[in-house]
Amino acid sequence: MEITETQHPSAIVLALTGRLDGLSSPALEQRVDAVLASGAKALVLDLSGLDYVSSAGLRVFLTAAKKFKTAGGRASFAALPAPVREVFELSGFLDVLDIRTDVASAL
Amino acid sequence: MSTPASTPHPHAPLPFVEEILLLALDDSTGALRPMPVMGLDYALAGALLADLALANRIDTDPEKLVVIDRAPTGDPLLDRALGTIASSPAPQSVAHWLGVFASERATLERAALERLVARGILAEQEKKFLWVFGVRRYPTVDNQERVEVRTRLSALILGDDLPDPRDAILISLLTASHLLSRIFDEPRYHARGERIATLARMDLVGREVAAAIDTLARVLRSATPVMGM
Repeated sequence: MEITETQHPSAIVLALTGRLDGLSSPALEQRVDAVLASGAKALVLDLSGLDYVSSAGLRVFLTAAKKFKTAGGRASFAALPAPVREVFELSGFLDVLDIRTDVASAL
Repeated sequence: MSTPASTPHPHAPLPFVEEILLLALDDSTGALRPMPVMGLDYALAGALLADLALANRIDTDPEKLVVIDRAPTGDPLLDRALGTIASSPAPQSVAHWLGVFASERATLERAALERLVARGILAEQEKKFLWVFGVRRYPTVDNQERVEVRTRLSALILGDDLPDPRDAILISLLTASHLLSRIFDEPRYHARGERIATLARMDLVGREVAAAIDTLARVLRSATPVMGM
C-alpha cells in the first residue's frame, strides 16, 4: 500500500493506494500517529485508491478516529470505493465514522 | 502523574479467552451464567481468534482468515492454535476456524480458568452436591478486572464515544454469546439496543460467532418435535 500525504490549511490528507491489510496496516498506524503528534486537528483519509481493506485495516481506521476525537480533533474518511464501502457498511462504520463523498467535502 | 481519563486500559488487558470466561462466570456463585447451546464454545473460539488477530498473527475478511506472521507469541494456547491454522493447505473462512476451535472448548475453558486462578482473580472450590457429586465452582477473589471492564463497557453503551478495537471485539463477543444482556440487565441498557447492535457489528469475528450460535439455535428449534399434536 502507498500512502501519500498532502498538507491543506484545514487538514492533513493521507491518500491510500492499494491494499490495507495486516501487513500494511502498521505503516498506516505510524503515519496517523505522526500526524497526530504534529498537532494537526483534522485528518482526512482519502480512500479513493484503496482496493481492499481487511479487519486489521478497519481496526487502524477505528483507532485513528478515536485518537483524533479524544484529542479534540476529527478524522474523516473520504471517497470510499464500492468494495470498501461494503465492508464499512457490514461493520457499521458508516454509522459511527465521519464519512465524506470526496476529499473536498472533508476539508 | 495521574492516568489521563481517556486512557482506556490502565494496565495490560487480559487475553480475550480469559476475559470472556471471567465475564461468563457469575460473580457471586462462581458458576457459568446461562448461555445458548454452544454459546461459550463459540465465544471462546472467537476470543482465541481475536487474541491472535490483536497479536498481529492472523488477519480476516468476510471470505477468509489468513496467517500474516507465523512467529510464536509465547502463549502456548495461541501458538498451538496458530500452528493449526498455519498447517492448513489453503486459507479457510473465519466460520471454519470457529468450528474447529469451538470443539476445543474444554481445553480453552480449563486453560483460562487455571490462568485466572494463577493471577489471583478466581479461586477454585470443590463443593459436594447432595454429599455425592463434586461440583467445581470458581468464586471471585479479586473483582477489580470485572469491575473495570464493566465500567468501561457501560460507559461505551450508555454514551456515544467511539470504542477502541479491543472493546468493540469484547462487546461483539459478549453480544453474540448472549452474555451482554445478562451482565447489563438494567432498563437503562435495554433502551440502548440500537447502540449495542451498532457496537456488536464492528468486529468480524464477533459477527461470525453470532451467526454460528444463531444458526445452531435455529437448527435445534426446527429439530425439536412440537409437543401436544
